[in-house]
Amino acid sequence: MSGFGNPTEIGVAQYLLMMIEELGDGTAALPHTRGYFPGTPNTLDSDGRLGTDLLTCIIDSIGGMTSGLASLPEWIVTTNLMVRRAPDALVGTRGTGPLTLDTNVLRRGRSSVVTRVEVTDAADAVVATSWMSCSILTPANGPPPFTRPVRPFERAVPNEPIFSSAPHDFFNLTARDRPGIVELSVEQRLRNPWGILHGGSSAVVLDAAARSLVLGRPLIGATPEAIVTDLAVHYLSPGRVGPIVATASSVGRRGPDHLVRVEVRDQGADDRLMALAMTTVRSLD
Amino acid sequence: MSLLGLEVEQSDSGDVRGWMPVTSLTASPDGMPRLAAVAMLVDALGGMRSITASDPDWAFTADMSIHLLPAGPTDLLQADLHVRRRGRRTLVIEAELLADGERPAGSALLTFAVVPRPEHLVNIVIEMTPGRRLMSRNSAHEQLVSNYLDELEIHANEPGRVTVELRPVVSNTVGALHGAIHASLIDEASVSLARSHFGSDAITTDIHLAYLELGRLGPITATATAIGGPADGRLTAWVDVRDGNGALVSTATTQVVAS
Repeated sequence: MSGFGNPTEIGVAQYLLMMIEELGDGTAALPHTRGYFPGTPNTLDSDGRLGTDLLTCIIDSIGGMTSGLASLPEWIVTTNLMVRRAPDALVGTRGTGPLTLDTNVLRRGRSSVVTRVEVTDAADAVVATSWMSCSILTPANGPPPFTRPVRPFERAVPNEPIFSSAPHDFFNLTARDRPGIVELSVEQRLRNPWGILHGGSSAVVLDAAARSLVLGRPLIGATPEAIVTDLAVHYLSPGRVGPIVATASSVGRRGPDHLVRVEVRDQGADDRLMALAMTTVRSLD
Repeated sequence: MSLLGLEVEQSDSGDVRGWMPVTSLTASPDGMPRLAAVAMLVDALGGMRSITASDPDWAFTADMSIHLLPAGPTDLLQADLHVRRRGRRTLVIEAELLADGERPAGSALLTFAVVPRPEHLVNIVIEMTPGRRLMSRNSAHEQLVSNYLDELEIHANEPGRVTVELRPVVSNTVGALHGAIHASLIDEASVSLARSHFGSDAITTDIHLAYLELGRLGPITATATAIGGPADGRLTAWVDVRDGNGALVSTATTQVVAS
């Protein structure tokens, strides 16, 4: 594993622009952080709501960082992540606009960390919750250079149009000919500080594949008629080469809720299975 | 486990298939087994599959997700388990659930932490007899005589809050709360909370459960809190399970639907 890059220069973080602060004096064994997601218009759907793809990205970002702080002087990789949206925040105004992510480490063991993230909207209503597990590892060139307590810092956003584009453009998505298959081409901006595909990128491509399957048409963009309400993703191996291909298959349905299984593979790395997810897609028609 | 009459068959490749008879004592109002019972089937089979998959090491369940589908009245639930990843430190197993061997009934994903085999388990003898057999010999003479959760003596204290005393019937081999009983508590706490919102009965349809510590001191209490408000006959909740000292031993999120 290569060394950690500058945390201010993570492409996905530069795109999402979430500010993170650590609460307390930075000495707590189980850190507590809070993230402030501004909800820039290009990241939101027509209702002003963040899709579960990008919601998972920001959860992965703050949850991973907070889990890492609990693991210092070692660091972490995310092994699985569970997201669940509130049923009363799927349509309408609830859950739209800026979001706050309150993040607590629940357990720091010898080899793993479990962290909870609770997401509230501007009216302080809980709109989603998540927990994630991370494996603790010894980074080759040390952990990221954080000063404790971590204070919000400005990210220098590259002056490139792609950083203010829609999510499917930023994440380089392409729909295959048939529903349920979406491809992501790996660019430098989509890698995490270790040089591998950002965990949130996997969430973006698998979310699109799941919605595409349920709606029965190739797609990569936002879908007002369907939303992923629940996601359980297991990261099995890192994405390094690409193209990254997400393939969704139907398990069954309960009324408007479709249970969809998604495999994410790195085609350029012997088609290796990168992630396995079970999602629920709600038809909103 | 013995109360549920679980059966298992293991193939030469190590993959595992198991079955659980469904009766009125383990079923939800929709005729499917309730999540609490499914969790026992999945946990037991997953543990068995992990033995060969992690050999020569050992594996402990770290987390478990289950999604149930409305497969209708069911006599026998079948689960087929497959290893999706065996890494140095984690093992991921997927389970496909079928009602009466033909109708999709849901799925499960389990993560195990792989560790050096503990000293006291080095010479353990695991029954790997070919062919279909009962998972517990005690099932031949033990069976449910009342509702599964009543048999476990899980009691609802108030909406969203349930408790169980740590007794042998709900404990694992090291005397801590059995992994599947965590799920039972979480199921019942979620349903109890949902009933108070819906004013009708409810079914837990899915769970994401993370095990944090061994629950060694009773009583063990699960407390469910709604995530936002209910809508369209659905409620989501996070549920914390704490031991007699108030220490957090597991946490989960659930979805519950009105029935």
